[in-house]
Order: sequence, then structure tokens, then C-alpha cells
Amino acid sequence: MLTFIIRRLLIVVPMLFVISFLVYLGLELTPGDAVSHMIDPEVASRISAEQLSEMREALGLNKSFLERYYIWIVNVLQGDFGHSLAGGVPISDIVFDRLPATLELSFIAIVFSTIFGCLLGVFSALKKGSLTDNSLSVVGMLGISIPEFFFGLVALLIFALNLQWLPIGGRLLPGYETIWDRLPHMVLPGFVLALMMTAGVMRYSRSAMLDSLSRDFIKTARAKGLPEWRINFIHGFRVALTPVIVLIGFRLPTLIGGSVIIEQVFQWPGIGNEFIAAVRGQDYPLVMMIALFSVFAVLMASLIIDVLTALVDPRVRLD
Amino acid sequence: MTSDIALSVKDLKTYFYTNNRCNKAINGVSFDIRRGKTLCIVGESGCGKSVTASTIMQLLPTLSRIEAGSITYHAERGDIRIDQLARNGAEIRKIRGAEIAMIFQDPMTALNPVYTIGFQIEESLKYHTDLSLKEIKKKAIDLLRDMGIPMPEKRVDEYPHQFSGGMRQRAMIAMAMSCNPKILIADEPTTALDVTIQAQIFKLMDKLKAEHDTAIMLITHDMGVVAELADEVAVMYMGNIVEAGSVDDVLRSPKHPYTRALLDSIPVLGQGKKQAIKAIKGATPDPYERPNGCSFAPRCDFATKECDVMPDEEYISKSHRIMCANYKAVS
Repeated sequence: MLTFIIRRLLIVVPMLFVISFLVYLGLELTPGDAVSHMIDPEVASRISAEQLSEMREALGLNKSFLERYYIWIVNVLQGDFGHSLAGGVPISDIVFDRLPATLELSFIAIVFSTIFGCLLGVFSALKKGSLTDNSLSVVGMLGISIPEFFFGLVALLIFALNLQWLPIGGRLLPGYETIWDRLPHMVLPGFVLALMMTAGVMRYSRSAMLDSLSRDFIKTARAKGLPEWRINFIHGFRVALTPVIVLIGFRLPTLIGGSVIIEQVFQWPGIGNEFIAAVRGQDYPLVMMIALFSVFAVLMASLIIDVLTALVDPRVRLD
Repeated sequence: MTSDIALSVKDLKTYFYTNNRCNKAINGVSFDIRRGKTLCIVGESGCGKSVTASTIMQLLPTLSRIEAGSITYHAERGDIRIDQLARNGAEIRKIRGAEIAMIFQDPMTALNPVYTIGFQIEESLKYHTDLSLKEIKKKAIDLLRDMGIPMPEKRVDEYPHQFSGGMRQRAMIAMAMSCNPKILIADEPTTALDVTIQAQIFKLMDKLKAEHDTAIMLITHDMGVVAELADEVAVMYMGNIVEAGSVDDVLRSPKHPYTRALLDSIPVLGQGKKQAIKAIKGATPDPYERPNGCSFAPRCDFATKECDVMPDEEYISKSHRIMCANYKAVS
């Protein structure tokens, strides 16, 4: 297994190279550049072509595409992630500023959705066909089909505007106040994100559990005279766990990449929000860095999934 | 109780319910299983063989019910009416695995793929014996060795997918035999295995029967298996035992038209591709729309008017019984 992990980690390096080039290419193909986004359209008519090309030169945008990519990649390899084109803040500062907010929100959502999703899904499967199961299925369907932004806005409308129980958005900076001051800000986005994720985990674990309970080995376990809890959990749930782990694993990248929509709706100062702003402004060094972080997170998550499934299911062999 | 009867089933009826329709999967079945003897239940797919086994173990699916009749397990501590025990209750759990054990058709799917063979054998022992963990482990290894699995110390920690088909079935049998059950129910234990392995498994079962005086109920649709292993045979058709008796009774002088047709339909090895296989005409009736009388009548060459009424069970000799109105005309 160790060789497998090492090999996979080694593959990550060339993959990051290729993906970084593709993202860079994609950015190059979009019309306009960072400068055209920096200038107010009203001022644009009064700016001469010389001034524009001076600005481009200052930002290094006048060089050819390959040249810029080469400069960028060499800098990154030397540990210099560059500066944001808009504002000139070092990108590493931006990322480390935003990462805790995203981590905090996604971590809460993933932990909650995993625990509640599995519990409800298994419960639903064990009570198949009952009123509880049917209502949970309906709730799960709604959770999957209603878009996050809609759900988030409704939650804002009810709890923040009408009832005024919770703040409408944003997040106090860490260290600014105690955790108790920050908690109210976390409740709504955390709740909405967790709820959407729970719905998915619930439906997934329900069907995985039903599938595993219908297998022959459940009958064998029963024929051995084992008590029902042991049949359901030690035999049934253990086998149902593999697909559920895969689903949860695929969500791990949100820890770093953030949930773009939820962060937008709640003005959560996380990576996802920053990413949207960077793409809009064609702030390519920032887009590149966030994209690379996300890609790295996805690659790591799939490695983690592979290792975990191998640990849970002895039939999976990593070599 | 002086007899050697381990379990007796009397006039058992198990019905399945779907969408307000009722499938009389077992429609009045009686038989005894005797200590140290093998009872073979034969019949085509869907005739109720497996349901009979499940009913005895109280392993029926939710939408089915024991409608009438009795299943009496003659335990050392007295008779137990299995049909009256709560499904998955504490009492039936004490019997399952410990006193009545079961092995299934496909050992690949019947074993849990994520646990070691040892874990799955030890599980029964943990629940049904007072042995210490160390003794349990040792017992599991001994059981595997008894079943003829080489290097049991190593094999005990392996997973089902690392075993071959025949070895898996041996492991299943080891699991079933772990608590020295009085009765072993084998539901087509060799259907998923090839013929040479089949012979080994049966040899093993015969050995266990002789050594532990276990009563075996073997479900099969293979007449060759019946001839080899059975002491007694019950032929089932559409939820009824149409003919039952000792092996000699049933195989050498079959009286029921269905038994005869079944025996005639077996292809003979060595007669080449051109031999005419005498298939039974027609198909099994829809279980929801059974004939009023004898279920076999529409397919029977000997059917008469009398067959429109369900025939009673009749004893031809002390051991040989039959459910056919016209059996005298048949022979």
C-alpha cells in the first residue's frame, strides 16, 4: 500500500503541470485581460492607447502567452506565487487569509452531513416503507433538487431578515472576537451547506444499506442466530459503507475549494468567493493559484478515497 | 420421546402476499427429519423447496406467513413449536445456528465479503457457546481442518474471495457445524460448484452425519444427488409433497406421475446428443391461479375427472406415501 501511495503522489506532480497549463490556456482564450477589467468603462474612453499599453507592460501582459506561462511557473516553483493583479497583494497572503474561513464552514458541513446523513439513511433503510422512511425520502429529494442559492436565500429571508435571529452574512475575523461572537455567523451558511450535503449522503446510504441488507450473507447471519442489531450494523452497514465513503470522499475538495454558491449567498469571505471575484477580474495569477489548490485537493481526495476503500473492503487491492 | 425424529412438520402452509394476491408457496406439507438420516427434498424451481427450509428456520421474508400447521423441534429439553416462536426473537435465535444450522446455495454470496472466514465462524461460537476467545479461535481452526482445508492456521485469517468455490462451501459447512447442530439444512449446497467439488462436499456431509448423528435435510433438484445421499426422499410439486418415501420406494418404484416424469426426463450420459429427452409437457401453472384439484393434473398423462378434486395423501406402504387419485392406474 505504501508503494501505491508514493506512486500516486508522484503522479500528482506532472498532473499539476498539465492542468496548470490547461487552465492558463483557458484564461488566455477568454476575451479581454486584467487591465480591461481594472478600468471603469466611463474612464475608458479618456484613456489613450499608450496609457493602456503602459499598464499592460507594468503587469507583464505584453509578453507572449508562452513566455508569461514560463515566468509564472518558474516563480511558482521557486515558491513565489505572485501578486494579485488587482490590488497587488501577495497571493499567498490572500490564500492563507481566506482558507481558514472556507475550512471552517466546509468542515462543519462535512462532519454534520456525514453523521446525520448516515444515521438517517440507515434508519430509513431499516424502516423501509414506513411513514418515516417516506417522509425522509421526500425531504431528501427536496434537498437534492432545490438549488443551494435558493435554499440559502430563503433561510436568510426567514432567519436573518424576518426573525432577525441571526446575522445576514459575513464572518468576523478570527481572533477579532471570541468563538461565541463568530458562532452566529456560522449557523446559517453551515446549516444550509450541511443540509444539502446531508440529503445526498442520506439517499446514498439508504440505497447502499438496502442493497447490502438484501444480500445473501444477511440471511446467513440470521441463520447463525445473531441478534438483529449485529446483522444490521456489523454485517449490513459495514458492507454499505464502501459506496458512502466514496461519496463523502468526493466532497473533501470543498474543504479547500470552498462552496462557491453558499459563500456568495452569505458573503462568506472564503476561497470560493475570492475565486469568483478573481475570475471576473481576469486576475490570472490568483485564478491559477486557487485552481491549482482545488485540483490538488481533488487529487488528494481521490487518493484518500482509494486508501480508505482498500481499508474497508478487503477485496480492493492497491497495486 | 423415544423416536429418532429430530423435527417434524405437520400440514404446514406458508403463504406469500403481494398486492392482495396470495401465493400458496407451501400448501400443506408434512414430513419428519430423523437423526443420522438424510431427507432429500426434490422438485423443480419454484416448487417450495427453499421456502420449506426458510420456514423451518423462521427466515421468511416479511410479506409471508405460516398460515397453518406445525413445526415441532424435538429438542433434548423438550419439544419446541418453532412455528409459534416470534420471528427473529430470542428463542428462535438460540436455536438458529446452534441446534438447526443451514448452508446455502452460493457460498460466494452467502459469506460476508468484508470479514475473514475465521471471524464469521467465530461469530456463531461467540453467541452460542461459553468458550473463551482463545478457545473459539482454536475451535475455528480445528473446524476448518476437519473440513479438509489445508493450512487452517493461515486460512482462518483470509477473506472469502481468497478461497475457491469448494473451499468456501467447506467454510460454510464449518460455520454451520461449529456448534454441533442437531439438524443441518442444506439448500442446494452444490449447485454453484462443479461436479468434482460436489462429490467432495457430499462426502464431507455424509461423514458429519455419521460422526455427529446429525439429521440432514438436503434440498436439491439433482436426482443423482438423491440416489447417492438420501435415506428418504420427498418430491415436491407446487407446494405439496406429491410423493415421499425411502430412496428405494421413490426411485425404484415411483408411483406418482410427476415423479416418474421427473425420473424419465433425466438425460442419460453416453447416449449421445441425439437421445430424446422426455420433457414434461406444459409448464408449471401460475402460482396465483392454481388448478382446483391436483396441481399436476393439467400436465399429467393420466389425468381423469377425479383429479379435479385435491387428492388426499395415501400410504401405499408404511413408508411410502403419495398424493394422487390415480396412482393405481399409473403403475
